[in-house]
Amino acid sequence: MSKKKQAINLDEIYAKYGPVIRFRVRKSLGASNPDWEDIVNEIITNVIEKINRKEFRGESSIGTFIYTITSRRIIDYIRQKSKILKHAPEPAPFPDPHEHVENKERAELIAGAIKTLKPKYREVLYLYYYKGLSREEVAEKLSITPHRVSERVNYSQKLLKKLVKK
Amino acid sequence: MKMCKYEHLIDDYLFDRLDDEKKKKFEEHYFNCHYCFEKMVEREELISTIKLKGETIFQDEYVADMRKGATWFEKIASFFTPKRWALISVYAAVVLVVTCVLISRFKPSPPQFFISEDTVRGESITLISPVIDIKTVPAKFEWKDSGKNVEYKIYIYDNGNKLWNATTKDNFIFLPERVRKRMTLGGKYSWEVKAFSPEGTLIAISSKVQFKIAKIE
Repeated sequence: MSKKKQAINLDEIYAKYGPVIRFRVRKSLGASNPDWEDIVNEIITNVIEKINRKEFRGESSIGTFIYTITSRRIIDYIRQKSKILKHAPEPAPFPDPHEHVENKERAELIAGAIKTLKPKYREVLYLYYYKGLSREEVAEKLSITPHRVSERVNYSQKLLKKLVKK
Repeated sequence: MKMCKYEHLIDDYLFDRLDDEKKKKFEEHYFNCHYCFEKMVEREELISTIKLKGETIFQDEYVADMRKGATWFEKIASFFTPKRWALISVYAAVVLVVTCVLISRFKPSPPQFFISEDTVRGESITLISPVIDIKTVPAKFEWKDSGKNVEYKIYIYDNGNKLWNATTKDNFIFLPERVRKRMTLGGKYSWEVKAFSPEGTLIAISSKVQFKIAKIE
């Protein structure tokens, strides 16, 4: 019974933290790195083993526990590669625009939704995300406050979420 | 609506604008905060789409931005994209063809005449006779017809001085006896014909042809 309960918990942990670990590893190593998925699997296995070995004693949150294991493995990987390559592997630019190529339909949907936004939202998205300007630079260009820039970005995101869901 | 005090770090994290300490804190945070993680995934998807398709999504903004910030040279250079060059070439070819067609259709009639002492340009009248040396004083002068309703003026010169002139609507004229008498054997004469429209406009002219009345040996 206790074993079954623990297995369910591990499934929950896997479902909840799997995407977070994947995101963190991909961000650090780059999606074009062929090893990133193996590293993710190693981390998940390691987390499950440690929990099974009762190494997680609840001194920190489970999130922090998994974060620590993930960070250590990433650092180990980079060190290991640095020794072989004599320098650290270059992570791909993140967010990698080609990462979502497999989800072209969704990208088309989002792109179509952006086109329907009001110009004041589009221009913020254009300057902030496409041109890569800082919040302050965008604010100066549009003669608004940086806070207003954040508001417009957040509101655009909200609108897009609704439009894409429709 | 639920907000998180770390939410404002999402963009800076995705664009690697956080220092190491903040970055570590935020990473630890999103391992514990499902709200921030969800937001970050959504934001990452949006940024990826914009980076991938921004050129088509923001065509208007891009053009407006170029207009605002670019120098004249950059504006001109950006205007003449390969597509536009191709379009301009096609337009130029069409304009050229149309111009050629119009020119050939509405080609103005050749300049009527520019006459100097010895030069005649434009329509000309062909003189038939006399055009070579002859043995007797000619009685009839003949030239090619230049059309209907044309009035001809014939001029006969004796060594360059006008001997006689007359007007006719035929393409020939008989020399009056009194003029024939003034022409002598061995003399060198020349003649020319001018054609006029009913309105009196000069429309054709012959070249001046010389003839000699040979002496009978």
